[in-house]
Amino acid sequence: MGKLLWEAIQRSTTGPIMTEEKFETELFPTVLGNLQKKYRIEFDPDEPAMIDPDMADAVFEAGKELLLEVGLLCKNTQRIIKFTQEEIEEAIVTAKHEVTLGHGREAVTLSPRAPGEAQHPYCFNAAGVITTDVELYKQHAMTVMQEATCDGVIPMPLFGVGDIKNVAETPAQTFVCLTEARIMNEAATWAGKPGLFFGIPMSATTPHTLISTFASGLYNKHNCTLPVQILQDMRVDYDRFNLAYYADQQGIEPWMSSSPTLYAYITGPEQGAMQIIAHTLGMLAYSGGTLTQAMSVSVYGEYTGNDITWCNSAAALAAERNLKLPWVCFGGTGSEGAALSDDHWYGVAVAAIIACISGMEATWLSGGHTGIEARWVGEMSRAAAQLSPQQGLELVKKIGTLERAPTPKPIPLSDLYDLGTMRPRQIFLDHYRKFTRIFMDLGLDYPTWHC
Amino acid sequence: MATIADLRQLVSDTKPDEAAEMTSTLLDAGLDPMEVLEEGVMSGLQDVGDRFAAKKAIVLDLVRAGVTAKACVPLIQASFPEGEGVKIDKKIVLGTMLSQHNIGKNLVSTLLSIGGFEVIDIGEKNSPFDFYEKAESVGADLIAVSVVFAPAMEKFNELLSLLNEMNVRDKYPVIVGGAVTSQKWASEAGADGWGAQAKDGVELARKLLSIE
Repeated sequence: MGKLLWEAIQRSTTGPIMTEEKFETELFPTVLGNLQKKYRIEFDPDEPAMIDPDMADAVFEAGKELLLEVGLLCKNTQRIIKFTQEEIEEAIVTAKHEVTLGHGREAVTLSPRAPGEAQHPYCFNAAGVITTDVELYKQHAMTVMQEATCDGVIPMPLFGVGDIKNVAETPAQTFVCLTEARIMNEAATWAGKPGLFFGIPMSATTPHTLISTFASGLYNKHNCTLPVQILQDMRVDYDRFNLAYYADQQGIEPWMSSSPTLYAYITGPEQGAMQIIAHTLGMLAYSGGTLTQAMSVSVYGEYTGNDITWCNSAAALAAERNLKLPWVCFGGTGSEGAALSDDHWYGVAVAAIIACISGMEATWLSGGHTGIEARWVGEMSRAAAQLSPQQGLELVKKIGTLERAPTPKPIPLSDLYDLGTMRPRQIFLDHYRKFTRIFMDLGLDYPTWHC
Repeated sequence: MATIADLRQLVSDTKPDEAAEMTSTLLDAGLDPMEVLEEGVMSGLQDVGDRFAAKKAIVLDLVRAGVTAKACVPLIQASFPEGEGVKIDKKIVLGTMLSQHNIGKNLVSTLLSIGGFEVIDIGEKNSPFDFYEKAESVGADLIAVSVVFAPAMEKFNELLSLLNEMNVRDKYPVIVGGAVTSQKWASEAGADGWGAQAKDGVELARKLLSIE
């Protein structure tokens, strides 16, 4: 539990009152803009990653100042929760720097890694697919979990189970989320990895379902974390605090998460990176978590592009140099049904390389929705781990210039895998081989690429 | 001397106090309120919308533009002569799908009201069910939806599916507009009409409800 949870709750009833409209249209953007100018944080649209240590430190200082100046707006009370500099400094120096996820043979420990270190960013692959067909969902998960490079998974949200739709705030959602948890356990057991890390309950959107799912034991403190993520643009509500307290009581690792939307209330990736740091420090204060997920998305629904990756890498490097929390970022492209798309495979490679050179400890939703895509991101993360920031940046730029075939239509899993044996079909292996050759030509190497 | 172009610029620059003052000045000078609304406020908003479409403005600019418009519109509304326009016995349920944006929606609401329609404005952050429920409860003749960011597009599709599922799709022509929408998208989604600008909402409503 965060050292400041009780203070945060108390201040949510005594802090200055401010309407959400005033907070989001005046206070927050004004302070953010002023801090960006003060710290001279500038995005270069030609740069897909931010590798400048000085600017990373500036992003961190600006983010910290943002939290101190603006505070967090409590949606329940419309009051601002402020922290003092001493409180935040103490939260930083007492933060844990290591976390173990999963258990038994499958346990992985995320420790601080600087850019270029041999330790690769762990890959928590997407498991399942957005569907109401539980058999298809399980098959997708099985293809992923059987891969040697799968370090853990993040379940995809189930939209329902057959005819039972995932309706928030009802037992239907709890049922769907329990089904997700059951399938994850079954697939992991089938893959011979019963101790695998299952990320967070992704079919849950309410505290009730989250808590009920953990109460079942299918997800537990050994295999799963509990989301305590902050709300967009420096906002919190009492759900965050209740979940943080529940996580503490049950010994569950909090899943701290910040996902700023660029071009909504923030002008671009610079402000996105600053906000991620401010969010992280805020979550650290009220939850005392360790594991931190941070990724940006644009208001246009884009998960890739120089602005997005720059923002993600700037925040990660800022945290790596000043906070050293286990840092997780998006390791996919947001494309569904893109298993044979060149664009998607290059995008996944870029995400892996940027994770390596930005000092990230892991990626989540890495790859795509199938095992071979999980293999690809896992191997890329290992092959690129020791690239220097400059080497990685040049490689990413080079990738951006490569020709790619038009994206083919989505292909059903049964055309990519023999679902009787769960072995990939030749068409999929050929695509994988094509990319291993391309990346060997680009100077990367991995033992299995020579097979 | 103040001109409507000055008002347009102030709205485009999202300066609510100055824009409101300028609106009063123009109306006091005897300019046509509809012209002030369309050429001043709406054109200024359109400028911000165009910048957003070109990725040169952010949602916050749209929100601030809305705040600016909100400062001007009541002044314009108050300046319309009493009894102007014919009341139309048609109810329109209007709201923003999912998000909290209200600039375009509020303008459409104003223009529809000026046009004589009875507008039931259900505000922002609506779910598909909210539109359906309100339309049924008030006996609406048309549903107008503002879709301003990408996730709301999917929700608009859900609204049409919901209306179909409840066997009321034929009762309610559904029109849509908003920053992320297009004629192509709206047609593919099955909307009965799409408006690029707020004033299109009035024309669409008149056409779909067969008002001469």
